[in-house]
Amino acid sequence: MIDSSRYPALGKLLDGQLSIFPEHQSYLERRFADADQAHLELADQISDLITRIAHDHLDEIFEDYKWLTGVFVEEEVYFRRNGTYRLSSFEDAERTVYVDPVYMRKYMNGLLASEVWWHNHTNAIGFYKETFLDCLPGSSRHLEVGPGHGLLLYLATQTERCKSLTAWDVSAASLTNTREALSAMGVERDVKLEQYNIYDAPDGEFDSIVFSEVLEHLEQPLEALHVLRKLLTQDGRLYVHAPVNSPAPDHLYLFRTPEEVVSMVEEAGFDVVETRFYPILGVPLERARAFDLGISTLVVATPSEGA
Amino acid sequence: MNRIGILAQLEGLIRDLFDEYQGPVTEDLSAHDVEQWDSLGNVQFVVLIEKTMDVRFSTEEMASLSNLGELMTLIERKKSL
Repeated sequence: MIDSSRYPALGKLLDGQLSIFPEHQSYLERRFADADQAHLELADQISDLITRIAHDHLDEIFEDYKWLTGVFVEEEVYFRRNGTYRLSSFEDAERTVYVDPVYMRKYMNGLLASEVWWHNHTNAIGFYKETFLDCLPGSSRHLEVGPGHGLLLYLATQTERCKSLTAWDVSAASLTNTREALSAMGVERDVKLEQYNIYDAPDGEFDSIVFSEVLEHLEQPLEALHVLRKLLTQDGRLYVHAPVNSPAPDHLYLFRTPEEVVSMVEEAGFDVVETRFYPILGVPLERARAFDLGISTLVVATPSEGA
Repeated sequence: MNRIGILAQLEGLIRDLFDEYQGPVTEDLSAHDVEQWDSLGNVQFVVLIEKTMDVRFSTEEMASLSNLGELMTLIERKKSL
């Protein structure tokens, strides 16, 4: 499927995943069939990070990814039948997903693996590196809200452009996971991990803010973007990743088109600098639009003049 | 609706949904023959059938069908209930 001598971490991950989930063979063959060298190098780097985070429980990650694909099929069926996400309130998501540590661990493990098994997730990380991190001015005070598995935050620690690093999450357990992941990936820089609800954010000033796969978990995403606008310096840059038509057990806010995401960012007082739309399974964008398929929508923005 | 009519309806859905597939649509056709017929495509296909033919499938039924012929038999059974 891939040349394991050139991409050893990816090769090892593929072998492990297929030993536990052999039914995924044809999908993964298609997923990497047209991948160019740059994409494979990125997938190999992400695989190495996943391997470091997993340490001695890689098999658990593979099992949980397999479980997650089943969960997502169930959510997809609901979405296709009803045209909406199953949940619409944070209270429901908390009751059915967030309070269950066993469920949450499986869910987070499965999502971690998806960073390399899903085209759109791998491409999103590539875009984040090249179009956001590599274009930050030096000495940026960097904030990530909702760092999750810590991959994006790790990449921020690897650039000198980020002078200071802060991450906020509403969940103490999630912050513990992020801290452990950063340690497993070998981060030695100081990263402030603080427990805050975005709606009760303290005063602060940041030059770069990352808000990746959080908007869809909120009942009032526009309000959250307004908060980020206040926290971002006038010359600062915002990175947003929000999925469109992407049912999941804890997704609340349904964006039906990439343009809805872009418009919301603009409405919150930002000028959009760059966008990328990466459809699920690597299908062409036109097909994704025609059939209301999932599209990872990425936006880099700066504060509007006078906003 | 007879079996020929069901197959004709399914062919219409397949041609729309899996538009890259140019081969014949017969009772032997399966997801292995159609590149776009992946797990997500399968959900889309089955829910489209539900909406156009007024039937309902369980998740287990969705996952267990091995070819169009089996799907047609299941539709016939559900329509006759």
